Amino acid sequence: MEDVQVVAMLVRRCIAGDAAAWEEIVQSYNRRIYNLCYRFAGSADDAQDLTQEVFIKMYRTLSSYDHTKGAFVTWVTTITRNLLVDHFRKTKQDRMTDSMDTAASEHEDAQPLSEQIPDLSAPPDTRVRQREVSETVHAALGKLSPELREAVILRDLQDMDYREIATVLKVPEGTVKSRINRGRAELARLLQRTYRQVM
Amino acid sequence: MPDHTNHGMQCNEFDSLLSDALDGVLSRAALDRFQAHARSCQACGALFAEVEAGRNWLKDLEEAEPPASLVTNILASTTGVDTQRLRSAAPTRQPRISWLEHVQAALLEPIWAMVRQPRFAMSFGMAFFALSVGLTVAGVKPADLRQVSLRPSALRHAYYNTQARVVRYVDNVRAVYEVQAALAGIKRNVRPAEPGPAKPTKERKNDTSQQPEQKQERNYSQTGEQLILASAHRGPCIGDCDLPVGSVTTYRRFV
Ligand SMILES: [Zn+2]
Repeated sequence: MEDVQVVAMLVRRCIAGDAAAWEEIVQSYNRRIYNLCYRFAGSADDAQDLTQEVFIKMYRTLSSYDHTKGAFVTWVTTITRNLLVDHFRKTKQDRMTDSMDTAASEHEDAQPLSEQIPDLSAPPDTRVRQREVSETVHAALGKLSPELREAVILRDLQDMDYREIATVLKVPEGTVKSRINRGRAELARLLQRTYRQVM
Repeated sequence: MPDHTNHGMQCNEFDSLLSDALDGVLSRAALDRFQAHARSCQACGALFAEVEAGRNWLKDLEEAEPPASLVTNILASTTGVDTQRLRSAAPTRQPRISWLEHVQAALLEPIWAMVRQPRFAMSFGMAFFALSVGLTVAGVKPADLRQVSLRPSALRHAYYNTQARVVRYVDNVRAVYEVQAALAGIKRNVRPAEPGPAKPTKERKNDTSQQPEQKQERNYSQTGEQLILASAHRGPCIGDCDLPVGSVTTYRRFV
């Protein structure tokens, strides 16, 4: 996934104050981090803010990266994941406050998935259809518990291997595998239900 | 899941081999046993089908396209800020810079463009006074001045025309008050449009969370400070930016 020597050199140049090296890192990793944030947090606005937070944190702590201890991408993903955990806790608290404020439950969770998605029965254009399917899968992903969600995102969308994921999540590899499979199965059940309802 | 043995494989062993089976890394012999169990054990067969389906859904999920401004914003919020002090304070304010620029462009730019121009006219103060007196008499609100040509020559022309009628009516102090009042009126008319989308209001709830202060700082600081920064970027300010908030009061007292 990355050339250890090249990345180590880039990091050294960054620490020495080379703005071009930093820009190269930003260019190389922004899509990856943005996608991780987007798939986990669900909203593009949150993903953008979170991605910026990740890079700010990276920029400040770059000197603590030790390439002998692991791949740069693992380090970056760990930073991202930690911020996502904070974000999740924060928004969860918001949701609790919201529901206390409004008394009535207007939780997104209470709404069946099929009501959030566009009508899948008659999309004229395959591109439109493709986008609608993507949105449906994205919405279903948001229904998974955070533990299962992060595991499947890291494996199936970020293509990380189990050992890397275990490092990021700080759990044994066996747990990682089990979460990935539970996450995939849960996702399939959610989507099967959705498509059965819609079609 | 019942933990029984089918074809020499237990359900928990099947479970642990699921990932490897889907990744295609099982040995031939292990795969045969795995598949045999999937066929004979209903629960495990169904589980395998679901896991495979879930993986396929995700495999088809396209990469999301980050906003075009993302890299620029990241660079602005990291290397764009030089001092250590700002580096620790700035990041949290940066995320919505594009939004603020948008608001600025949409709402502030026309006003600034208008207000800025008269700086180049020697007779700005008096001309503006004359105009606003004339327009006030005619029942025109300061906000409507947007429509009026404020080219220095036009202003001077208007000034001399109106002067013939009203110049002896007021002294210089009143003229200054009137200019301030007119500008304050414009600012007041602009202000209600400034608050952005519902987002900041929603985020304000975040301060009940246990987030590090930096996140709260972002929520609190961005709207107000950015607007001030935005106006500072507009170049040297003369009368208009120095205009105290108190001038609104002045206006009321005067009228
Ligand atoms: Zn079984």
